[in-house]
Amino acid sequence: MSDAKKIVLAEDNSTLSLLLKFRLEKEGYKLLIAVDGKEAIELIEQHDPELILTDIMMPFISGLEVISHVRNKLNKQTPIIVFSAAGQEEMVLKAFNLGANDFMGKPFSPNELVIRVKRLLR
Amino acid sequence: MKSYQYLIDYFENVPTIIQVVWISICIFFVSIVILTIYLKFLRNKLRKNEKTVAEYQKEYESDLITYLYAGNEEEEISAEQQIIIDKLRSCASDEYKRRIIVSTLLRLRNEISGEMADAIQKLYFESGLISYALKRLKSRKWYVVAKGIRELTQLRVKEVHDKILMLVNHPKKEIRKEVQLYLVTLFHFDGLKFLDILQTQLSEWDQIQLLEVLQRFDEQEIPDINPWLKSTNESVVAFALKLAKIYNQFEVKDALIGLLSHHQKKIRVDTIHVLSHLQVVEAKAILKNNFDKLSQEEQIEFFKLLENLCETSDEPFLLAHTTHQNFEIKLSALKILKSLDFEKYKSLKDFSTDLDYVKIYEFLAYN
Repeated sequence: MSDAKKIVLAEDNSTLSLLLKFRLEKEGYKLLIAVDGKEAIELIEQHDPELILTDIMMPFISGLEVISHVRNKLNKQTPIIVFSAAGQEEMVLKAFNLGANDFMGKPFSPNELVIRVKRLLR
Repeated sequence: MKSYQYLIDYFENVPTIIQVVWISICIFFVSIVILTIYLKFLRNKLRKNEKTVAEYQKEYESDLITYLYAGNEEEEISAEQQIIIDKLRSCASDEYKRRIIVSTLLRLRNEISGEMADAIQKLYFESGLISYALKRLKSRKWYVVAKGIRELTQLRVKEVHDKILMLVNHPKKEIRKEVQLYLVTLFHFDGLKFLDILQTQLSEWDQIQLLEVLQRFDEQEIPDINPWLKSTNESVVAFALKLAKIYNQFEVKDALIGLLSHHQKKIRVDTIHVLSHLQVVEAKAILKNNFDKLSQEEQIEFFKLLENLCETSDEPFLLAHTTHQNFEIKLSALKILKSLDFEKYKSLKDFSTDLDYVKIYEFLAYN
């Protein structure tokens, strides 16, 4: 388990976080869960994960700020997948401009997320 | 005792106004103390409640996730899943717990799709939660019914279509709105069939909400809107006109032309607007021949149609209306004439001495 690839998941919906934690841990990844952007940045700085999954709209610090922090302040090229809700198309474009690698529109299939995670961590 | 006596003597000897002020101060002071104690009690109660909700939510979240991952291919419902179903079924009999269970299911249902979303819906049925939502539909309180319908919409329960449809003409507009959203959210364009039996008015806000929901879907194949354009319910006609415009329903042009003689002016004006958008040339001749019989709003809308569909043969008609009493019509007529033939337009400089005409002419000539 110590060799497991680390993934930081920033999501304010605790039920969704728990579901994704179970699903991705089943695939052999180690999940670190943050309930907001502030916690996500702390976890990223502390654990240097192999992948970041982040919602766009979160309390305190948004997903866009998390991406900007990783790319511009930490200067890391860690793959980032953003979650967006319907009507957040402009936010998704901003996320890509800031350096996000992929996005998934909510509601999404957890199985599809696993496929994308595997592709990015290959 | 001596000091109390001093206070009583003081109070008795001061003027009445001072006595009133002192009494008021005492009343306010006591009220503030009582309110502070009450607020503290209320805050503690709310915090305690919040804590209890969070604990239950955590428990049900865990149950839900276990349920979702406890399935296997051999059985429809595994033994582990059945334990959770039984637990939730017994908890659901308590209204307080039921609310938390449903909100937990919804929190996840709104975020995921695919097999897991279907599994959540199955759990909603198996745990008997659906029967409580159905009971709410029979409540005498309108807000209970509305909340029941909303829950069924959010959990995508298509099986209760007929029961919900029966409420489409409910006297309470909030219930009607939830019914309409249920039908359109779950059955997309097919859900619009409620328009066939709608007897009440569909408000402008209801129409906007329905259009917003419809635009979310990938499939944009709209059913035949002809019957709605001929509806006796004017709000249904107004909504059908919006559908005709948004989804470019050129095939309903005959019904649209028929609406030019509708008894309501607003419908006639909206119809001209849609005909203009769809560029129905036949409408131009009909409106031009009846121009003098049209209301001023219709005449203005007709000129907007002409801006889209004008031809050289319209020149005499346009010229005749460059001196119309209405400013918008004058402006529109001159604008169209300029777009048809600018050289000819220049020769119209001294066509009229009307002040508005001169100003519009000058403005258009240099812009």
